[in-house]
Amino acid sequence: MTIEEVIEFLSKIQPFQELDSAALRSIAGGVIVEFYPKDTMILQQDGPPSDFLRIIKKGGVKVFIKPETDEEVIIDYRSEGDSFGLLSLIGGDRSRANVQTVEDTICYLVNKETIQRLLDSNAAFSEYFLKSFLNKYIDKTFHEMHNKSLLYGGGDKLLFTTPVGELASKNVATAPHEISIKDAAGVMSSRGISSLVLMDSEGLPSGIVTDRDLRDKVVSKGRDISESIQSIMSVPLMKVEARDYCFEALLKMLRNNIHHLLVVDEGRLKGIITNHDLMMLQGTSPISIVREIETQQTVEGLIPVSRKINRIVNLLLKEGAKASNITRIISEVNDRLVRKIIEIAERKFGEPPVPYCWIVFGSEGRKEQTFKTDQDNAIIYADIKTAKDERKVEGYFTDFSAFVRDSLVLCGFPHCPAGYMASNPKWRQPLKTWKDYFSKWINNPTPEALLFSLIFFDFRVVHGEVKLAADLRKYLETLLKGQNVFFARMAGVILGNRPPLGFFKSFIVEKSGEHKDALNLKLRGIGPIVDMARLFALEKGVRETSTLERLHALNDKHPIVMELGEEIEQAFEFITLLRIHHQIKQIEASVEPDNFINPSNLSNLERRTLKESFQLIMKVQDAIADLYRAGMVTQ
Amino acid sequence: MMTSYKERLTGFFTKNRELTALSIENADYTVIDTELTGLDVKKDSIVSVGAIKMKGGRIDLGSLFYRLINPANGMNHDSVVIHGITPSEVAGKPAIDVVLSEFTDFCGSDIIVGHFISLDMNFIKKELGRAGRQTFSNSVVDTRGVYEWVKESTGEYSRHYAGKPQELDLFTLAREYGIPFSEGHNALSDAFITAQLFQRFLSMLPGLGVRSARDLLKIGKP
Repeated sequence: MTIEEVIEFLSKIQPFQELDSAALRSIAGGVIVEFYPKDTMILQQDGPPSDFLRIIKKGGVKVFIKPETDEEVIIDYRSEGDSFGLLSLIGGDRSRANVQTVEDTICYLVNKETIQRLLDSNAAFSEYFLKSFLNKYIDKTFHEMHNKSLLYGGGDKLLFTTPVGELASKNVATAPHEISIKDAAGVMSSRGISSLVLMDSEGLPSGIVTDRDLRDKVVSKGRDISESIQSIMSVPLMKVEARDYCFEALLKMLRNNIHHLLVVDEGRLKGIITNHDLMMLQGTSPISIVREIETQQTVEGLIPVSRKINRIVNLLLKEGAKASNITRIISEVNDRLVRKIIEIAERKFGEPPVPYCWIVFGSEGRKEQTFKTDQDNAIIYADIKTAKDERKVEGYFTDFSAFVRDSLVLCGFPHCPAGYMASNPKWRQPLKTWKDYFSKWINNPTPEALLFSLIFFDFRVVHGEVKLAADLRKYLETLLKGQNVFFARMAGVILGNRPPLGFFKSFIVEKSGEHKDALNLKLRGIGPIVDMARLFALEKGVRETSTLERLHALNDKHPIVMELGEEIEQAFEFITLLRIHHQIKQIEASVEPDNFINPSNLSNLERRTLKESFQLIMKVQDAIADLYRAGMVTQ
Repeated sequence: MMTSYKERLTGFFTKNRELTALSIENADYTVIDTELTGLDVKKDSIVSVGAIKMKGGRIDLGSLFYRLINPANGMNHDSVVIHGITPSEVAGKPAIDVVLSEFTDFCGSDIIVGHFISLDMNFIKKELGRAGRQTFSNSVVDTRGVYEWVKESTGEYSRHYAGKPQELDLFTLAREYGIPFSEGHNALSDAFITAQLFQRFLSMLPGLGVRSARDLLKIGKP
């Protein structure tokens, strides 16, 4: 019956399923049913506030905003069981965004009094909305969302005009569904594909297996790989017509929480489409952002593109990328941005008077950037003969580096508070001065010299004359030969930073202050591993600058890495990922990202893994103490 | 104090003129359905009445009406099969004139909407007449008539599609418009389906030039 249908529907969706049947009956008894044909604008940005919470019974809407000058940008698609209009309903001021139906849509409307009563009286109900709705939409965050959705700018039109068939990968691998899990995985790996369509005896598709299935249903469950593939394949297969527009495919994926759809044309399998294909179409992929960077000619043009870089992290995370892959991709994209700015500077100030190279260090040097980090850069230029030339060069690079610094700030890379930037004359020097710096730091490792070494020795070239940096790197290697005192000092820095684990293996957290009950993941978790890998790499003459690449290269060179390298890598991946997750949550909540994690907010598994990682760091520290304590390096 | 016939008549026309000048988005509707013991208005009677209010395109689940009726002249086998209401279920229920009095109060001055509504109206008017009550004077819209008009004006309609007379029953139309409905039905759930069907038409009509309730009454005349 009428009301029962509504109760039945509400009882299956969040957060109404938290309510008891009496509460549901009372809500359902006041519901208003509305129908909106496709393309109806239900709420208007900056228009009157929503008068109801609308729950989508059938159909779908897009939530988008339209800045005055730009094209519309889509924030979200909502479909069956989702709701919209809460914030302006509660706030009563104005609608935050446009909401328009993308297909014929039926909504259940619940009035303000009812929602207010539920929010006041039911903790689970209000918590759901606070978490999933309000947080996202408070005004401050709205700008974040706005930027985030810039990712979709321009692309969403394609979403509505491109037929699925054009995008679908045509080469669909198929196999009979009688084969074993092992054989199916074999086909996938030999053909280098991430999904396999299984066919029944009549040659009709009966299921699909993806990398994710192998991971979630086989490896993590310890399933026997001789079992039939049918035991893990996803059925039923969701299909989309080749002539359907891409947004229909996207809606289907969102609605069913799947990442692959079969593309059929008159009942015949034509291809397969993945959410990645759709993301590419929308211009959210790193590749398309790189392409966008390359086409810009001005710093002004780079600013909006640079905003998208942070957002890649979110997308990559959702795609299940490893932390190290995320940071590598981000660094690659950031490199392109920096290079582009330097090219613009070179055009602006003319050809540089001498060969030079632009180097980066710190996390940028290690390709371990996540979100926009402080600038860490410097210039090495070729040695100069005369004082007159010296002045000319100095004049050129003064303006040049100031321009690059300011452009980077505009693109979201703040000043380095300690002034490690090429715009600082100290870090804009001819090769011979750099060599002097390095040899002074190594031969007289004062605390300041050690600090400089930790930062600058992770340098790498982003632009310019690579030979200058290579010269300096080679010089550094020679300098470091047999510098046991220096290495012992570096080891001392590492040993001085014990992981925050107490005697009974409990986390040691801040006792007071802004970060009470939290611990600094970057300083206490990532820092020690980065420092260890640097120490080993410098000692063994490994030129890589990224922590993981260093560990790889040291696999057969350093006794500690030989023994524990793999575990160190895993710990590094884990802590980095934890940090990225933490920061992305903060960014979504419009909080300035930091490195402070409260261990009690972690899941049991995360807590345990973090403890194991810290214990591992301690173990490596003990080994380092043995190896370097006496200022001696075993060869 | 008794109002004169003339006064009542003037009042009625004034009220109706105001009503029909309203836009279809602002008019008040009561969508109704009845279950009957059979189709013969002379012999058969009403078993249940369901109604649901709409304000413009908004279906208000807070304003529902559903009553089972104890029929005066018993129930025949066929209708029990159709709507699943057995004689024992209606045994203790109020008689038709009590229910119809509540029903007309519920409808107020709303436009009455129903699918193939002349049948329902014939039964309602018969029962009201038998009870000696003033006749039911509300304006009436037939969703089947609206459907045919919409189809004709969009050029999609053919009364004999592919040589067969087209089915125009409520469930065929609900299916055509993708209106969700469940298996079992009664007067209320059918009124709800009718309301949703009517809701679709309301969303289309302005685009087809039908904006006022007056126009709606013309195209939906039973």
